[in-house]
Amino acid sequence: MVSPFFLKMNLASDIHELPPILEINLVLTIIFFVFTLLLISLILYLRVHKNIANRRREELDLLLIDFINNYLFNEEFDNSKEIKAFKKKHLKTNFDKRVAVSQILVFAENLKGETSSVIQEVFLGLGLYDFLISDLKKKAWFKKAKALFVFYQLNIKIPMSLVEPAINSNRNELRQQAFLYLLHNSTENPLGFLGKLITPLTLWEQIYIENALKGYPGETPDFSRWIYHEFSSVAIFCMKMMADYNQFEHIPILLKFLNHEKPEIRQQAILSLRQMEISEILQILIENFPKENTLLKQEILKTIGKMGLEKHLQAIAPYINKENGILTVEHQRLARYFNPKTSITENNIFTNNVQRGHS
Amino acid sequence: MKKKILVIEDNPMVVKSLEFKLLKEGYDVSIAIDGRSAMEQLEANNFDLILTDLMLPFVSGSQLIEHIKKNHPNIPIIVLSTATQEDIITDAFNMGVDDFITKPFSPNELALRVKRSIGSFKNQFSHK
Repeated sequence: MVSPFFLKMNLASDIHELPPILEINLVLTIIFFVFTLLLISLILYLRVHKNIANRRREELDLLLIDFINNYLFNEEFDNSKEIKAFKKKHLKTNFDKRVAVSQILVFAENLKGETSSVIQEVFLGLGLYDFLISDLKKKAWFKKAKALFVFYQLNIKIPMSLVEPAINSNRNELRQQAFLYLLHNSTENPLGFLGKLITPLTLWEQIYIENALKGYPGETPDFSRWIYHEFSSVAIFCMKMMADYNQFEHIPILLKFLNHEKPEIRQQAILSLRQMEISEILQILIENFPKENTLLKQEILKTIGKMGLEKHLQAIAPYINKENGILTVEHQRLARYFNPKTSITENNIFTNNVQRGHS
Repeated sequence: MKKKILVIEDNPMVVKSLEFKLLKEGYDVSIAIDGRSAMEQLEANNFDLILTDLMLPFVSGSQLIEHIKKNHPNIPIIVLSTATQEDIITDAFNMGVDDFITKPFSPNELALRVKRSIGSFKNQFSHK
């Protein structure tokens, strides 16, 4: 019987005796074969690991559902004793704790009223507060974001020193969770974090904040506080909110912003004032029309269409460049809207008349 | 004799909480995790109240309500749903449901509404 060592030696010497091209082919085949085996082993390992984790999750979910229901509804259940026993017996690893946090969130999403404070009690009793606080101190942004999300959902207050650094995080997801946490947990100044921003608000962040404000139980903030913010995105957001929340007391500021140096701010001022149906803007817009870009001219035309009269359209007609198709079409459409009998030819004549009148 | 309630819900957490709470309140509770098994249970048993979600696998909540109203018109129905849109709630009442509870819900409030629905239905029949 030949020992494996001699077999290996023979194989190695046989390979060396082969022509170089075959030798290279054979060596590469062996390398790829080993690589494939390793890859398949890794896939199998990950699959098995995932299956074990899923099974553990399912088991723990059932145990948690049963335990929390007993805690919530069973008057004969010895809460303080049982919670300690459950923590000791079932929440041994970080994975177990993460499953527990997820299940508590499901309870918080579905139950309200008297049970909300009891769910908080279960969360604290299982030691999940400290667990998530340690996540907040780690570097991984996704752990921090998840922790903030949980604290926000369960309405649990945490030290501000752990939330504030997230306001200006490089990761949008983390920033969003920090905004939501601060907004939800504030009693007097839900948008106070806007003053601490050192990077502009993205459109998604604006949508998130707008949405969260709808569910804010406290007094609606005075959006004029951040209207002079260094970032246009913050000022634009506040102007939009002024219109959405009908803060008519800020109309003078919005009117002033129709002459702002930045076109995006002027645009939002037009949009907000139009939404609030402030007809005073028409005169300012007509005066500004010649110097505005096409986008703003379009907004002015829309505003005239919504709140203006035919005379306002006449006033801007001389400043519509006939080569600008978008503005010409919009102008024609409005001319017909004000006077349905106006034909395209008549409208041209009418435009020319106005031009002559001005000259 | 215990009143019998059929709970039709696919979220295991909500199922368990409802079962727990309603058993504590002294009801006999049966569970169906989808519309199809709910229909089977309705054929095999008599229920005093149905508590159902609107979003269910296989048979939607609306189809199920139509089926119940057609084949078991005497059983009161309470809808327990995440839907808060006025049109969905109105549609449910137009189909003949007796009450509509939105999630998140208060278990105590739910127990009271269940009691009221069963009670009012019993009174309705005793007057007839």
